[in-house]
Amino acid sequence: MDSLFGDWPSFDPHNFSHFRPSDPSNPSVSAICPVSLPPYRVKNSTFHCQKMTPTTYCPTHSRTLPPSDQIITTEAKNILIRNFYGRGEEKLRPKRAAAQLLDADHGSKQPRPCDPVIELID
Amino acid sequence: MSIWNYVVTAHKPTNVTHSCVGNFTSPQELNLIIAKCTRIEIHLLTPQGLQPMLDVPIYGRIATLELFRPHGETQDFLFIATEKYKFCVLQWDVDANELVTRAMGDVSDRIGRPTDNGQIGIIDPDCRLIGLHLYDGLFKVIPFDNKGLLKEAFNIRLEELQVLDIKFLYGCAKPTIVVLYQDNKDARHVKTYEIALKDKDFVEGPWSQNNVDNGANLLIPVPPPLCGVLIIGEETIVYCSANAFKAIPIRPSITKAYGRVDADGSRYLLGDHAGLLQLLVITHEKEKVTGLKIELLGETSIASTISYLDNAYVFIGSSYGDSQLIKLNLQPDAKGSYVEVLERYVNLGPIVDFCVVDLERQGQGQVVTCSGAYKDGSLRVVRNGIGINEQASVELQGIKGMWSLRSSTDDPFDTFLVVSFINETRILAMNLEDELEETEIEGFCSQVQTLFCHDAVHNQLVQVTSSSVKLVSSTTRDLRNEWNAPSGYSINVATANATQVLLATGGGHLVYLEIGDGILMEVKHAQLEYEISCLDINPIGENPHYSQLAAVGMWTDISIRIFSLPDLNLITKENLGGEIIPRSVLLCSFEGITYLLCALGDGHLLNFLLNMESGELTNRKKVSLGTQPITLRTFSSKNTTHVFAASDRPTVIYSSNKKLLYSNVNLKEVSHMCQFNTAAFPDSLAIAKEGELTIGTIDDIQKLHIRSIPLGEQARRICHQEQSRTFALCSLKFSQTSSEGSEVNFVRLLDDQTFEIISTYALDTFECGCSILSCTFSDDSNVYYCVGTAYVLPEENEPSKGRVLVFIVEDGKLQLIAEKETKGAVYSLNAFNGKLLAAINQKIQLYKWMLRDDGSRELQSECGHHGHILALYVQTHGDFIVVGDLMKSISLLIYKHEEGAIEERARDYNANWMTGVEILDDDTYLGAENNYNLFTVRKNSEGATDEERARLEVVGEYHLGEFVNRFRHGSLVMRLPDSEVGQIPTVIFGTVNGVIGVIASLPHDQYVFLEKLQTSIRKVIKGVGGLSHEHWRSFYNEKKTVDARNFLDGDLIESFLDLSRGRMDEISKAMGVSTEELSKRVEELTRLH
Repeated sequence: MDSLFGDWPSFDPHNFSHFRPSDPSNPSVSAICPVSLPPYRVKNSTFHCQKMTPTTYCPTHSRTLPPSDQIITTEAKNILIRNFYGRGEEKLRPKRAAAQLLDADHGSKQPRPCDPVIELID
Repeated sequence: MSIWNYVVTAHKPTNVTHSCVGNFTSPQELNLIIAKCTRIEIHLLTPQGLQPMLDVPIYGRIATLELFRPHGETQDFLFIATEKYKFCVLQWDVDANELVTRAMGDVSDRIGRPTDNGQIGIIDPDCRLIGLHLYDGLFKVIPFDNKGLLKEAFNIRLEELQVLDIKFLYGCAKPTIVVLYQDNKDARHVKTYEIALKDKDFVEGPWSQNNVDNGANLLIPVPPPLCGVLIIGEETIVYCSANAFKAIPIRPSITKAYGRVDADGSRYLLGDHAGLLQLLVITHEKEKVTGLKIELLGETSIASTISYLDNAYVFIGSSYGDSQLIKLNLQPDAKGSYVEVLERYVNLGPIVDFCVVDLERQGQGQVVTCSGAYKDGSLRVVRNGIGINEQASVELQGIKGMWSLRSSTDDPFDTFLVVSFINETRILAMNLEDELEETEIEGFCSQVQTLFCHDAVHNQLVQVTSSSVKLVSSTTRDLRNEWNAPSGYSINVATANATQVLLATGGGHLVYLEIGDGILMEVKHAQLEYEISCLDINPIGENPHYSQLAAVGMWTDISIRIFSLPDLNLITKENLGGEIIPRSVLLCSFEGITYLLCALGDGHLLNFLLNMESGELTNRKKVSLGTQPITLRTFSSKNTTHVFAASDRPTVIYSSNKKLLYSNVNLKEVSHMCQFNTAAFPDSLAIAKEGELTIGTIDDIQKLHIRSIPLGEQARRICHQEQSRTFALCSLKFSQTSSEGSEVNFVRLLDDQTFEIISTYALDTFECGCSILSCTFSDDSNVYYCVGTAYVLPEENEPSKGRVLVFIVEDGKLQLIAEKETKGAVYSLNAFNGKLLAAINQKIQLYKWMLRDDGSRELQSECGHHGHILALYVQTHGDFIVVGDLMKSISLLIYKHEEGAIEERARDYNANWMTGVEILDDDTYLGAENNYNLFTVRKNSEGATDEERARLEVVGEYHLGEFVNRFRHGSLVMRLPDSEVGQIPTVIFGTVNGVIGVIASLPHDQYVFLEKLQTSIRKVIKGVGGLSHEHWRSFYNEKKTVDARNFLDGDLIESFLDLSRGRMDEISKAMGVSTEELSKRVEELTRLH
């Protein structure tokens, strides 16, 4: 069983190496300064505020809009019409083309994947 | 209130819906990216942990979030799709530190039925295309070209209509999807399709698998070398590929989230509905899968997303509880758990209900929310204020006063902290190890209480005790001079600055001393007619060491007097009126304006403008800060002066735009405070409170502070009762004792100070609490809790039975006084004309509180009103009843006393599915509906025809982008009579994502001004990903999209303050209003929340 848990991946061994967990029940207590007057203790405040407050992004630059060719839309032709056109084109195609197609590897029989091997483990 | 409304977020969404990890901000940096519905947060992984980098507002509700690496790129790109069918691809520009939009677009179709199981957005692992499943029966493809650019999207018909999940398979020559779907016989199957990009069609895929687990709802694609897919069911997990099939039975559970651990896909973290975290392992010999193993790791919050970070640290994103940073340990702890929770990130969502209470009686609301779901349910107390970040504390009982002293006049830091007790004085000092230890100042008297201490010129210190004033050298600490009180008199109160001492002895003697080098000179003496209660000579004139004025508070005539110094001539006398004596006076100056503050014994504070030349006091104002005597002290933070008012409700007084502002501090009962600025604790305060001395820093801004009260069960309704000082809850607990899992419902009573559960009433089997109310009835002086319930039977579509329960709180216990059976669910209860108004299924029902012959009481139905689909939300005002219907928007009813009948007066004929209603004023009503919109309707009493009068006219529309569960009148900030903001009425709302927002009704001229400002800001602040703000805020549902009107986006307007000066000037120019004026007006608005 040990092998299951060991060896957690590490991309950069430094990450979290200096991590100091704060009291998980209270995210606010950060710095702990010693006081030599006994009895001393570090106290949790009743109310706490969120530690994780990243700055809010407020873009004013012009590159929030993509290059003009990267404003994507869906093609106007719907599936049915596309199908009609597709068939029409196929019909118009000279018959030789079909023969050529057969020559191409498309025509060659592809091995169908065999039925999956079923094996139940408990 | 009015129809011109300003909507602003006080607490941003905290519900984590998506997360992913990758190299986004640079090729070397590893980032965690979190989506919180309408915002994304970018974090950096560092040796110290997760470091937040940026909070990015998105003009849309995020439906999918994916990181991907296009060919030839060294950094990951971020793909975001929104629920309104917009998408964008973002890239981080390392040099400019900006988010750049690489692509964006609209992927909506004119026809098509939106999917029931949510939108799916996936990216081919080989970056050949983006796949989207947005409408039933359609699969949309956005192909990449060979340069990594996106091309025009197209649809492919997907035969399977009930799709549960779609993923791309790894390691396929052609892009291949695997589809988990349900057929019309409710059986579930898995099928694969290859995508033929040229033909824009599907080709039958390499394999399929019929009849998988009936609860299968999640597919996990396995990367190379193994490839294939994991099918996660409720009772089995299956690994499936073209040439292998392995299954493993699991403990019944619903898997809500997964996170891949290893790059080769051999291990996965699975989080289930009960918050259990499991490790799924694919065992394999080289590339051949040999089996599956699953192991329980431990418990976390119920996960909605799991991201493995690095070195055994994992981020658990949650929608139902706090998100967490956890560590996977190699060895189990005492409870057998491998999971160690290291950080919690507060999440208020889902806010199912909340109430606004003023527990401190300061005129400032605290919001108490029913937050979280299932085992992660909790109450959260949300309160605005200034935070004290405690650094250290020592238990010290009975502190009577505190002063900090420096060891030499020009030392920038304080060295000593003089702490006075009833019959001794102790001196603390920072030692060389930066520890606080007890020391002595030999020249001081330490056997008695100290009345006042101060640094004095020429490296001296002053100590005032009841018998004398001592002048001590701060270098040798020896006594240099002493002034003794005349025999028979003792000093009662004293104050000092660097060169002056002012003290009062019994009998109304006021004595003024000046400090020289080694000498104390008695300069003047005055005899006043009454005893002196407080005095101050804080220098606020040009000379920072010498005051020309003295403020003196008097007993008996309850007055404040201003004397000139050094001659002690009376300049001004101000009678305070009333019977409460002044306890603390303070001369102070904010932003060049001089004030006299005077705190009374009952927690009130008076402030006056003080004319330094004439000593005249004008512009008197009074605020209530607490209930106990207040002690005033100045402190400086970031080079500005603030005043700390120590009392049972500690408050910081400061000034902005030449107005005095008050902000409460997140501490209870502070008796004394003094600045203690040492090298080890720079900019800190020493605070005496509740038997301890604390040293801490103070926040420079006020913000929301959240206190969590975990319940271990889900609270659904909450209500506060002032008279019994309790909260009552309707809650439900899921118990996992049986395999089925059952729920039990309770009415619980909590103490409003300790939040302890003091009494519980268990509801019947299948009965659940739907509404709760604290109210009184006519002809009865008692205050009751009324609870409305429903019997939710498995075989019924709608409840056909419920109860109204009436409780009284006696000796801290809930006593059932009366109960009334109803013919349906009691969705809402309101106090109405001394009676009880209930919304029961389709009906609005009014009950009288009747006295029976035997002296007991009962609810007796008086009248009702039919005609709703389900009357879910009810608000009342006088005789008017506003009903929010399940699907028929808002209607207005009126109660006619003479006829004893309720009639419909008007309605909104739109088909809005309501999630909340509130009455803004007599004629204007606010609604929230399930497409995340807000709207206002107005009663048209002056309409020419009956038809017009019967119609509620829609006057405001706005897309909030949040699912509102509750509106309540109230304010999160102190409403002070002298602030303009104090006059603006506000409504607070709470949402599923944990947002707390404020809707403020503005005067028309201000609305017009801000609307113009919003338009100008829109031109400067761009939408991330090119998404349009105008489009985002447009009212949007299946039937229509219309521009927002009569609502303003306060979040956008207030982001004006975050702009660079240049951008502000740009807006100022467009507006024709100075930047200073604009900043001032926007700052005013920020004080609404």
